[in-house]
Amino acid sequence: MTEVYSIDPLIINTPYEITYKHSYGKTTKFFTSLSSGKLTATRCDHCKKTFLPPRSDCPYCLAETRWVEISGKGTIHTFSTLYFSGERFLKDLPFQLVYVDLEGVDTLFLTRLKTKDMKKVKVGMKIKMKISREPEWRSSDVWAEPDE
Amino acid sequence: MPRKVAVVAGGLSYFSKSRRDKTQEELAAEAARMALFDNDINLSKDEIDGTIVSYFSDHFENQLLFGSIIQDYLGFNPKPSVRIEGGGATGGLAVRDAYAHVASGLLDVAMVIGFEKMSEVNTAKGNEFIALASDTDWDFPIGGFYSGYYALMARRHMEEFGTTEEQMAMVAVKNRNNAQHNKFAQTNPKMNPYGMKDGGKITMDDVLKSPYVAFPLKRLDICLMSDGAAVLILASEEKAKKITDTPIWITGTGAGTDAMRAGDRPRTVAGVPMLPHEKKEWYRKLEYPGVHSFRAGRESARQAYNMAGITNPLKQLDLIELHDAYTSSEIQTYEDLGLTKYGQGGKLIEEGITALDGDLPVNPSGGLIGTMHAVGATGVMQGVEMFWQLQGVAGKFHGSDKTQIKNAERGLIHSHAGTGTYVTATIMER
Ligand SMILES: [Zn+2]
Repeated sequence: MTEVYSIDPLIINTPYEITYKHSYGKTTKFFTSLSSGKLTATRCDHCKKTFLPPRSDCPYCLAETRWVEISGKGTIHTFSTLYFSGERFLKDLPFQLVYVDLEGVDTLFLTRLKTKDMKKVKVGMKIKMKISREPEWRSSDVWAEPDE
Repeated sequence: MPRKVAVVAGGLSYFSKSRRDKTQEELAAEAARMALFDNDINLSKDEIDGTIVSYFSDHFENQLLFGSIIQDYLGFNPKPSVRIEGGGATGGLAVRDAYAHVASGLLDVAMVIGFEKMSEVNTAKGNEFIALASDTDWDFPIGGFYSGYYALMARRHMEEFGTTEEQMAMVAVKNRNNAQHNKFAQTNPKMNPYGMKDGGKITMDDVLKSPYVAFPLKRLDICLMSDGAAVLILASEEKAKKITDTPIWITGTGAGTDAMRAGDRPRTVAGVPMLPHEKKEWYRKLEYPGVHSFRAGRESARQAYNMAGITNPLKQLDLIELHDAYTSSEIQTYEDLGLTKYGQGGKLIEEGITALDGDLPVNPSGGLIGTMHAVGATGVMQGVEMFWQLQGVAGKFHGSDKTQIKNAERGLIHSHAGTGTYVTATIMER
C-alpha cells in the first residue's frame, strides 16, 4: 500500500532498491592479493609510473600495466576529520580521511586513518597500510595507521 | 568561422531547500516564463528553435529521460533538444553547448533550461547521490562525501600556501551577505517567500563557530542544496539584434577536465599552464596540480581568455560568478583563474578585492553559498545573473539595487564539477 506523506501538496513515499552485479574486471587481483596479505599496485614500464588505485591500462600511453607488490609504507599528504557524511557512512562518524603518499607509488591514495590520537595527526606523518582480515571486497578493506 | 552569439533573455525560479509546491517541470516553467515575459525583448516562444536541457542526476526523482518531459511540458515538440550532464558543471556545459549550437548555425535561437529538485530524498541520501559522482570502486567506499574530499584539498592548500580558516570564513560572509539583496536566494527569508527561516546575514563569528562538517570546513563554509530552475536564451547576431537593443555577447568559452580521483592527478614540478600575464619563475618549485589546485579550471580559463583576448583578467573583468561549492574552492578558483598568483587566493579575499564594492566583485548574486545549488540550474543561473548585470538590470530582478555592479562591461562565469573533474569558463560582454 502506498504511504502518504502529505495531503496538500500530495506527497507519497516511493521506495527503490536495487542490487548490481558489479565486476572489478582485471583489478580483481588487487582484492585477491589482499587475502594473501599483499598490497599491490600496477606499473607501466614504458612510462615508469605506478598506480594505486590500480589501472589495468596506462592513461599516458595506453599500454597494459603489470602488477607490482608495494610496501604499504608512506606519509600523510593531507587529512580531514569527518563529522557528517553520506547516508551509508553515518554509522562510522566521526572518522578520518587521508591522502597517503605511498613508497613506490606515483599517485596519492585515498583511505581512512585509524588512530587513537587524532590530535597527533599532521601532514608528513609516517603511516603503514593495514589489511582487513574480514574482507568486504571494497577499497575500505585497507586503511592507514600511524607507523610508530 | 563561428557566428557571433548573444544572450538575449534570462529567468530564474525562487530557490529553496524544498519547493514541494511545484514539480520539477513546473519549476522550469516558472523560470522560462520569466525569461520570455519579464525581459525587455521582442521574441515569441514559437521563435525558439530548440532547447538544451541541463540537469545532473536521474536519482533525485528516479525518472530517466526527464529532458523529454521538460520539452513536452514547455511545448517545444517536435523541435530538437539535447540533455547535457556533467556533474556540478552541468549548467556551464549546457550554456557552452547552446553557444556551439548557435555559433555553428544549427539553431538560431536556443533556450537553455537548467533545473534540479534535490529535496525528495533526505539530506544524507542527497549527499550520497552527489558522492556517487566520485569513483564508486575506490573513493566512495572510503566514506564518500564531497565535503570530505574538499576538506582534504583545502587542508593541503593550507599546508602548501598558508591559507587560513579565517580567510575561508570571509568568503562565506561575503557570499551569504550578498544574497541578502537577491530575492531569489535561498538564505534570504526577507525577500524570498520560500527562503530558509534561519537565513539572513552572518558574521565571521557565526562561520567560525559553526560546527565542523569535515575539518577544516564548517557548516557555513559549505554550499546549499536547492530546488529550482534557471533559463537562458541565446541567439545568433542577426536574430539577437531583432530581439533586443542590449544583447550580451559570448566572446569566449573554455572547458577543462581532470582525473575523477583527485589523488591520480600529477604532481609535476613547474607544471602550471601559463596564462598570458604570468611568469614561469613564479611557479618554478610548485608541484601541480596535486590536490590543492584545479587544473581543469586553469585550462578552461586559458581557453576562454585566449578566445576573448583577455591578457589581464583582474583588470579586464568587471565581475565574476564562480562555483563556490566551498569557501575553500572559491579561494582556489581565484588562483586557477589567474586573478592572483597561486597561493595568494586567501589574500585576495582579505584585501576586499572580490567584495561587492571591490575592484573585481565575485559572486554578487550570493553564489552557491548564499543563493542556490540546484545542480543542473547552477551554471545557468550564473549566466542569467551575468546577463542581467551586464544589461544593468540586476537590481530590477533582484528587488534591490545593492547588487548591481556599476558600469559592468565584461564578466566571467565559471562552472565546476566533482573535485574539479569538469570545469567551464565563459566570457560575456556588453
Ligand atoms: Zn604508460
